[in-house]
Amino acid sequence: MHSDKTLFMKKFKIFSLRTFILLIVFILSSNVKAQDQEATLIAPSLELVSVQKADRTIDCKVKIQAKVNGTFTKLPLLKVSIVNVTAAGETPLGFAITDRNGKATINVKGDGLVADAEGKVTLKAVFAGNKQMDPSDAEVTIKRALLVITPTVADSVYTITAKIVDISTGAEVPVPEAAIGLFVKRTFNPLKIGEGTTDTNGEVAIEVPKNLPGNDKHLITLIGRLDENEFYGNLEAFVEQPWGTTVSSQNKIAPRALWSNRVPIWMLITFILLMTTVWGHYIVIIYELIRLRKEEPHTTIY
Amino acid sequence: MELNQYQKELFERQRPVIETYGKKTWGWTIFFLLWILVGGYALYLQVVDGHAVTGMRDNVVWGLYIANFIFFIGISYAGAVISGLLHILNVEWRKPIIRIAEMITVIATIIGPIYILLCVGRLDRLHHLFIYPRLQSPIVWDVMAISTYFTGSVIFLYLALIKDFAIYRDMKLNIPKWKQKLYTILAIGYRGTPSQKRHIKVSTNLMAIMIIPLAIIVHSVLSWIFGMTLRPGWHSSIFGPYFVLAAIYSGTGVLICAMWVYRRMYKLHSLLTDQHFIYLGYIMMVLGAGYGYFTFSEYLTAWFGSAKWDNEVVSKLFTLSEYGWWFLFANVAGIIVPVAVVAIPATRKPGLITIASFFMVFALWVKRYLIIVPTLETPLLPMQDTRLEYVQYSATWVEWALTFAGIATFFLLFTLLSKFITIIPISEFGDKEQKKIATTEPAK
Repeated sequence: MHSDKTLFMKKFKIFSLRTFILLIVFILSSNVKAQDQEATLIAPSLELVSVQKADRTIDCKVKIQAKVNGTFTKLPLLKVSIVNVTAAGETPLGFAITDRNGKATINVKGDGLVADAEGKVTLKAVFAGNKQMDPSDAEVTIKRALLVITPTVADSVYTITAKIVDISTGAEVPVPEAAIGLFVKRTFNPLKIGEGTTDTNGEVAIEVPKNLPGNDKHLITLIGRLDENEFYGNLEAFVEQPWGTTVSSQNKIAPRALWSNRVPIWMLITFILLMTTVWGHYIVIIYELIRLRKEEPHTTIY
Repeated sequence: MELNQYQKELFERQRPVIETYGKKTWGWTIFFLLWILVGGYALYLQVVDGHAVTGMRDNVVWGLYIANFIFFIGISYAGAVISGLLHILNVEWRKPIIRIAEMITVIATIIGPIYILLCVGRLDRLHHLFIYPRLQSPIVWDVMAISTYFTGSVIFLYLALIKDFAIYRDMKLNIPKWKQKLYTILAIGYRGTPSQKRHIKVSTNLMAIMIIPLAIIVHSVLSWIFGMTLRPGWHSSIFGPYFVLAAIYSGTGVLICAMWVYRRMYKLHSLLTDQHFIYLGYIMMVLGAGYGYFTFSEYLTAWFGSAKWDNEVVSKLFTLSEYGWWFLFANVAGIIVPVAVVAIPATRKPGLITIASFFMVFALWVKRYLIIVPTLETPLLPMQDTRLEYVQYSATWVEWALTFAGIATFFLLFTLLSKFITIIPISEFGDKEQKKIATTEPAK
């Protein structure tokens, strides 16, 4: 009985020692792993999209995110700079701080940009990095172009004429065979309402459907777009026209507003009913008093 | 007008009050006039310099004036509800007190709206309210309701006075001729014929029924000026009944105080008996309990809900360094003390009930202030100007002077009216009292 107990104790000590050693090894290894993780900086990825606008400016749209623990995380509050890359070096154009979606837009003047020998402009978005993140950058190279849209009405038909010209050389050269999309601005994303390809003059006419819901002044915002062109990137132009039908959530006939002069009917009825009842009673009482006055006897009744 | 023995004795006891204007009365009149004069100077400054002389600014646009307005309209309930209700129920003990109650109603309804005029920045545009009224606006409801209520109160008081005017006309009073003539005009030829009595009875019954819902509507509408706005501490569905109950409650308190003053001043102990104080005390206790229930319900809901802005107002009221002490006073003196004084038999005495009523009335004035100011000091939009005087309201001497001038006007009108009509209505006491004095000693 005693020897059994001693044997059990020996086995238990050996088991405990093994368990202890394994535990130490596990803790040390996991600690090293944690230290390794701390030492690794987040590698953000930067995306840059350029949109050339009708006012000769370029919207540089940047998006910065990183894969953390296997999922993409949007990185807010990071400073992203835009530079014009030239043979002579990099010219800073501006910076912006990313929003909660990791996005920022920097609008730069297109005419001041320096192009290369082929007339191409290179824009670069740069995130300089910080204590937790590696630096990151992204580039786009585009040729300067201009998309202009013109609204016309002929025989009650609404038409948008879009024209694209290449301005990379300084002169306006029409761009043929470019696929233009026509969109109308909606609450969330623009709605595509037509498309067409430019002719040799760089022009295309797209008919605008009628009965598009507009605001209370019939206004709709029409957007002409050239998307992801291999030379020019993205081009965009807006125009606002009173071609829509009036759709407004506001009740114009009887607006619920402080300055409305239309009284809700129930309120009017209630008010008239109450006032008539009360003042009607007053009139009855005054009538009673007039009768009382007329019934005055000539002698005092004792 | 034929008077029975009881009525004759009652009139003879009050005859000196309306025949003479004693030194004491002159003293009080001058005192009240001096207060009104100070208020007049304050008003002059306000008209000349604008509302800059008051503590009201962009954020806190209402202050003492609106608190006074609600307070005075509230106490006007004394006549409307107490007198009207007791008349409908034909409660006998109401007779000596209804005149005081109706006087409170009419005078308070005159004083209250004056504070609205003081609060309006552009008095020159006041007529726009009538030329271009917008029925959707609670302010328009309020103007309509109060003017209707005031008309009703005057008619109600006048109906009760016609018979007494006829008595004053016929009793050969030692008074100036113009006063005698005025009594004759106001008596509108009442001679006490059965038909004339019927006209008075029909009219009084109509008014007694009408005045109660009218008073309820008026104070509900008044509460909706606050309740219809989306402000923390105001936007509450119970504000209507809460205001109505508080108004009847404070009206009862003022009635008790007025009764105590008249009882002492004109030695009317046999008419305004201890029993009257106790009965009104019971009414006050029930109303106090109801008012306490509403108060608890209102603040518990706001506190428990913890909506951001509601929470801010509630925390201001619960913090002693802000409005905490006043809030505590408003609830202790306004609810606990009056209820306790009447509930405990040992303290159920006219003097103590009157003291409790006085503090309750003051507490309810404080409550009106606490409804208005802390909410306005908690704007929903960020303040543009954060100077202390814009953030925090502090009444200036101009506002206080006009407040006291209003109170002085209230007392002055009371003094003048009690010199023109008898405080105890003569005509209310008829055959029942006559039969009583045939068997018992007449009241002296």
